[in-house]
Amino acid sequence: MITGARHGKLSGLRRLTALAMARDLRAFLVPGPDIARAHGLDIEAAGMQIVASPRHASVLLVVGAIPPPLREAAAVIYAQMMRPRALFVLGSDELDQLPEADVRENLSQQYLIKGVRRLRTAFAEGAFRSDVADFDAPMLHARIEYTCPMHPEVVRDEPGSCPKCGMNLVAREAQAPAGHTHTDQQEMIVDADMHATSDQDHAGHHGMDHDTSAKYTCPMHPEVEQNEPGSCPKCGMNLELRESQGTKSHEDAGINPDGDHSGMDHRLMDHGDTAFMSMIDVTKDLPRSSDGLPMDWIDVPFGPFFPGLPGGLLLTLTLDGDTVAGSSVQTLGGNEELLQHSAMDSGSFIERLARVESLAPVSYRLLACRATENAAGVEVPAVTACARVGALERERIASHLGWLALFGQQTGFDWLQRCAASLQLKVQNAGIKQVLALKPDMEFLIKRLQRTPLLKSRTAGIGRLAPNAALHGPVARAAGISNDARSTDPSYSALRFTPVSREGCDAQARLQVRVEEITHSLALIAAAGVIEPPTPINIGEASGAGEAVVETPRGVARLRLTLEKGRVIAAQLETPSTHHLALIDPLIQQLALGDALVAIGSLDLAPWEVRQ
Amino acid sequence: MSAQAFFIGFFGLASVWFGVVVFRTHSMMRSALALLFSQTALGALFLSMQAEFLGVLQIMMMATEMSIMAIFMVMFMMDPGGLGEMDMTHQKRLSLAAGFVAFAAAVAAAVFVDWGPVASVAPDAAQQTHDLGVELLGRSMLIFETAGITILTAMIAATAVAMPPVKRIRNK
Amino acid sequence: MTTALVLLLLAAGAYLVAVLEAWTASGRFRLAAPVVAGIALLGRESIVPRKPDRIFFEVAPVLLLLSALLAAAVVPLTPDLIITDLATGALFINAALVYVLVALLMAGWGPNGAYAMIGGWRFLGQLIAYAMLIVMPITAVVMRAESLLTTQIVASQASLWNIIYQPLGFVLFFVAAMALAFLPPFDLPTAKGELAGGVEAEYGGVRLAVFRLGRLALIITLAAATVVFYLGGWQGPWLPPWAWSAIKILAVTATMLLAGHAMPRIREADLLGWCWKLGIPLALLNIFIVGILVLALP
Repeated sequence: MITGARHGKLSGLRRLTALAMARDLRAFLVPGPDIARAHGLDIEAAGMQIVASPRHASVLLVVGAIPPPLREAAAVIYAQMMRPRALFVLGSDELDQLPEADVRENLSQQYLIKGVRRLRTAFAEGAFRSDVADFDAPMLHARIEYTCPMHPEVVRDEPGSCPKCGMNLVAREAQAPAGHTHTDQQEMIVDADMHATSDQDHAGHHGMDHDTSAKYTCPMHPEVEQNEPGSCPKCGMNLELRESQGTKSHEDAGINPDGDHSGMDHRLMDHGDTAFMSMIDVTKDLPRSSDGLPMDWIDVPFGPFFPGLPGGLLLTLTLDGDTVAGSSVQTLGGNEELLQHSAMDSGSFIERLARVESLAPVSYRLLACRATENAAGVEVPAVTACARVGALERERIASHLGWLALFGQQTGFDWLQRCAASLQLKVQNAGIKQVLALKPDMEFLIKRLQRTPLLKSRTAGIGRLAPNAALHGPVARAAGISNDARSTDPSYSALRFTPVSREGCDAQARLQVRVEEITHSLALIAAAGVIEPPTPINIGEASGAGEAVVETPRGVARLRLTLEKGRVIAAQLETPSTHHLALIDPLIQQLALGDALVAIGSLDLAPWEVRQ
Repeated sequence: MSAQAFFIGFFGLASVWFGVVVFRTHSMMRSALALLFSQTALGALFLSMQAEFLGVLQIMMMATEMSIMAIFMVMFMMDPGGLGEMDMTHQKRLSLAAGFVAFAAAVAAAVFVDWGPVASVAPDAAQQTHDLGVELLGRSMLIFETAGITILTAMIAATAVAMPPVKRIRNK
Repeated sequence: MTTALVLLLLAAGAYLVAVLEAWTASGRFRLAAPVVAGIALLGRESIVPRKPDRIFFEVAPVLLLLSALLAAAVVPLTPDLIITDLATGALFINAALVYVLVALLMAGWGPNGAYAMIGGWRFLGQLIAYAMLIVMPITAVVMRAESLLTTQIVASQASLWNIIYQPLGFVLFFVAAMALAFLPPFDLPTAKGELAGGVEAEYGGVRLAVFRLGRLALIITLAAATVVFYLGGWQGPWLPPWAWSAIKILAVTATMLLAGHAMPRIREADLLGWCWKLGIPLALLNIFIVGILVLALP
């Protein structure tokens, strides 16, 4: 049984299709494949295919705990999926915005496989049901607002007349405010569910408070008007809600009841019979792009679950044709409180930090360990420090491989995506012997990358960043700044560490730096000879303030904390992605869409570590 | 009534009907594609008149041309989802007058021009293609080559005029 | 009879393409996967997004399939196995395939979604790049055959296949054919990582099934056209003609599918730049060389 079953009796031919659906599970991942890999999940090995659009998915797979804004976005995704659809949750209990999970399992590959098996049974037995309930949630409703056709600044929640001219207000759908979480896919389609339901439901969804004067009319045939929603008898299009009188009297003025025509005044087209319709007149008030051509600009949301971007990142691009004219970026995954309660003991603080920063758990665990040790004044033995180096470098390799997989996914380089992802899964929890045994595979990957056609033209010159203080980690090292927290670390000096440095300042240089760092990290692991994830040292009842820096795979992270009797009472974290997030807007100005995404991808943002 | 006459009538009417749709619709995109299908119907009309090469050529050329026209129409007219309630007609009196004059001229040409003796059987398609090639590279060569060069020059000139005089910075 | 047989072969070919495509994309060879996926798609809902251009949305998948089928109608698999041997065959393939563009534009515009719309316009931009590289190499092929009949084109390669006679034309046509079928690395209109599926993103259920079927038919038709124009069609020693056609078509399809997965998607600007600055001069050169060869070697 699945809650998102399709309406119908399970019999005859439907039984066959249900079996086929059970075999052919297509998953849309929340928050994204990058997080799934970081948790060690191999979705495809478990028998599901990952798809890029919710329309093509039959399973919404939620990996790990996600914060409320992402839950809301996930609910919209769920509504966009076509039935039969199932919700599969791994390792998360709070999912208040979403419907009841069909299958819930723990967060590990073994349970994933078990869950897939349960999902298959659920689909085979319950893909069709005669009693299906609609999924309905507040964020799926389009808000209707009322505005005056002559005075666009008048906007009311209730129907009525305009205070300025007394005309009846016209109903229209409210535009989602920029950066609002509805905007995962195109905001125009958020309430896809409406169309799946009967016309009555449709009215129920829309019908917030439209009075008797609200009419439904066909966008193509204005003469078609009826009180009930439905489809146009002439062309079959869905009828739209419209407040009848206000629109009618002003149709000639050409004002669009949808309010979509923001930049343009149609009256210009209808004036005088013999006057020539001048393109210059029509377009004179529009914003100009760099090539001087005035074109329609559209705001397109990318994220928070966009297949080519890190999960949890919400990017809204203003596109001028295919060129980026403006952007806003925010993270829906980060900004979690470091201290859950007023104070927590150091052990749970370390665990919490490692869990919150799910893309680089080892680095942040190490950071928290070092900061507490520093605050408590505990010295770490050199052997332990060396073993920690091994673990940190292993995570760097895994993280860079994960970045390569995401880059492959973004640019449609399937081989890279597959190869890097499988290597990442193998490396991230491997012991020292296994890591070193994977060296030939990684060398092969790197060699093949150097010979890949089109890769250079895809990355060279894209996302140029002049060297400045805001750059961190591989992004800085690709701009010729060799600042690396590892240079000052004695345990690294013992292993004769030298930072990588490139001069390119572009996406290509960043790619090369990361690839080279994989080689360097392998050498460091071989030199360290041991891998051991950092474990907190018992600090007893120590008090004091401490600070630590760790070169995470994305750059320097800095943690300041205050201990009081062995408990953390204050903590302050500074992360590389926070700085990089602010770089995006100038970085992608006037780039073509594909290039802009490569430029953003080359920064290797981790939305989960952003603090603002 | 033969099948040929039926198809000629059918595609002729389809062409006219799509032509009407061009102005009746409120969406730039629909308008452009209606024009495309009007032209495609014209190509099909040629086919049913056994002018195979002309018909196929018409069907092929128009798809590209009208699609490119569609993007320009949408780019400049900003048609949001085709729901803009846009009026496709303007300068109504002038265009009505021009339309009637053109129609009258076309009818007059059809009626009054001496088209010569009517061929009883159309040559087969391969022969037509051959004849057309000979015609294009023989008697009419100068006309076609001149037209071709003129169009090419006009395209290059239009591009040159449209380019802003600023030095373009390439992302390098 | 012939029509039914060709359509059946086309369906079988499309099925094999689906298997091959899944294999190259995911590395798993599963013979039953497309039929399972197809049945599953047919059983799913097919939602129309909000405020669609309903006509375009509904027509686009059908038009895509139709244009591929029309193009297939003039491709000979054996001397007799051809639906209609049009006197303008080589031109007709072109005319039918241009409607792939129209279908994609409709699919991009219809659902009223930004990803789909950008995908549709991208394909138009792509056409401006590749269209000339389809027509001009065909011109050179036709020059050698001195006929637009596709059967005649195959017959003209009896002594020497066009891939050797005009290798430049083959390379250009092959690349352009991949761009026309929006196969990776030219999958700009459907780009998964950039547009979340682009023109396909809003389709589901039956409509998506038709769209995908149309795409598969398009790929197999283009492969068949490549075989007819450059690889000597059904000709070959020992084996019967149909077997040679099948082997060659599958080999070309596999090459087309494999090439794209080993490299990132091409940049639009690069595609346009290379096609215009490099492709078109080369295509002209190809016509010139073939012209000389045709005159010099009777």
